[in-house]
Amino acid sequence: MLPPYEDLRGFLEVLERERQLLRISRPVRPEPDLGAAGRAVANLDGATAPALLFGNIDGYENASVALNVHGSWANHALMLGLPKETPVREQFHELAARWDKFPVPVERRETAPWQEITLSQNINLFELLPLFRLNPGDGGPYIDKAAVITRDANAPGDYGKLNVGMYRIQVKGPDHLGLQSAAVHDLSRHVEAAEGRGAGLPVVIAIGNDPVLSLVAATPLAYDQSEYEMAGAWRGGVPYPVVRSPLHGLDTPWGAEIVLEGEIAYGVREFEGPFGEFTGFYSGGRSLPVVTVRRVHMRRNPIFEQLYLGIPWTEIDYMIALNTSVPLYRQLKEAFPEVQAVNAMYTHGLVTIVSTRVRHAGFGRVVGLRALTTPHGIGYSKLVIVVDDVVDPFNLEQVMWALSTRLNPEFDAISVPRMYEIPLDPSGHPQGITTRLILDATTPKAPDNRGEQGQLITAYPEAAEWERILKDMLR
Amino acid sequence: MTAIPEAGACPRCRTADVRQAAASPVPGRWVIWACQTCWYVWRSTEPATATEPDQYPESFRLDPDEITAAPRMV
Repeated sequence: MLPPYEDLRGFLEVLERERQLLRISRPVRPEPDLGAAGRAVANLDGATAPALLFGNIDGYENASVALNVHGSWANHALMLGLPKETPVREQFHELAARWDKFPVPVERRETAPWQEITLSQNINLFELLPLFRLNPGDGGPYIDKAAVITRDANAPGDYGKLNVGMYRIQVKGPDHLGLQSAAVHDLSRHVEAAEGRGAGLPVVIAIGNDPVLSLVAATPLAYDQSEYEMAGAWRGGVPYPVVRSPLHGLDTPWGAEIVLEGEIAYGVREFEGPFGEFTGFYSGGRSLPVVTVRRVHMRRNPIFEQLYLGIPWTEIDYMIALNTSVPLYRQLKEAFPEVQAVNAMYTHGLVTIVSTRVRHAGFGRVVGLRALTTPHGIGYSKLVIVVDDVVDPFNLEQVMWALSTRLNPEFDAISVPRMYEIPLDPSGHPQGITTRLILDATTPKAPDNRGEQGQLITAYPEAAEWERILKDMLR
Repeated sequence: MTAIPEAGACPRCRTADVRQAAASPVPGRWVIWACQTCWYVWRSTEPATATEPDQYPESFRLDPDEITAAPRMV
């Protein structure tokens, strides 16, 4: 199958052909083997780590578990249809260019592979799916890589407000789920809108999707931007295929492996957690909404795709890397066309690195301050490092060079106290409040004359050709 | 076939309202238990630190106050 991929299976075939997938046929225990393997594959080289496909899980018949599908730059590049060696900065610019095609209307289809089997009674997710505990302190098994689809009860016909998001889902009983949504997330607005009308909220949970849809679901889009129409853009302008779910009539990915339909119960909150989160720490227990599952639709022998997360980097860090960086880049570039690239890959952008041309004195810190007031930066961007345009913000060796030689702490460390941030940052004091720090590692310009701003070392232009020759020799 | 132990109290919150939530599709391999108080879920074949109240890590244990005092997010 050529990109864009219509389903997870098509992408796994390509990963296998590109030697980016390991099939594991030996018997494994749900715990601790699957979580342990998820951690282990994240410990490998992040440039080239493979996806894992398990086919022999103790106690299940014909169950498959896919892990680490997005978990390396090689897999990320293949998802976009690029050669697997494509540098991170090139992948960033490719994603930014495809964003310009938004919105691409969806392609509606009448039937989907996940309609092969439907259950409406005696639903038991523990028996239907190879659920497993990811980390020892988790409160139970989770579904953490699904697309959660809901509509705004106050604007049910507004396609932009249909939400496709990725939220953690604790499986608490055979058809009983806990669902986390932070106050700032779109799903919380939908829960509040439904409860404001005295009703529960219909929800579709689609598991095992094509890789672009998962990436979009994990992207901080504006509230009224359609994730499906963005998926079409990221597919290079190829419309995203959807099918209406039978019970709720919610648009659902055509290619999903498993589709759950249910309701978020009106007014109910229940203990949930802890869960090992993307910060590298367990979240505490929360009082969260619950879902009752009414229908299960699935392919025969579906692939259960799951995401391991632990102390960074793990798969989730690739899932919220460039799709976090591009919106920040676009928002900064609107104000400052001089901005060259943004790396907001560290814990969803708590650390943000911006590369920019410097128009006038003090320019770097102005760009840094703007990052704090972008929609994503308001909750993240605790530390903003600003570097010159000659520095690739995805090359940390170069960023360290800029900090080493450009930064004078007396002048270039700007702190802004008592700012809001996401409460999941364990260093907040109190939780949800932090000081922001901008490190301006750009070269000072007149009249801010200081330091010995010597001449950068230039290289022979033939170095580019030599780089190509050396890479070819290494193939 | 592995012997399936009976569930006692919840390993995490030590209350007794525990239900069997599932049995392995391949008969006799494991069962899954679910606490109806703190919603801890565990499989009979997990390491003892997940299934035995006395071996469950102290830092993850819950008392009833912690369950009712958990903060809402929405």
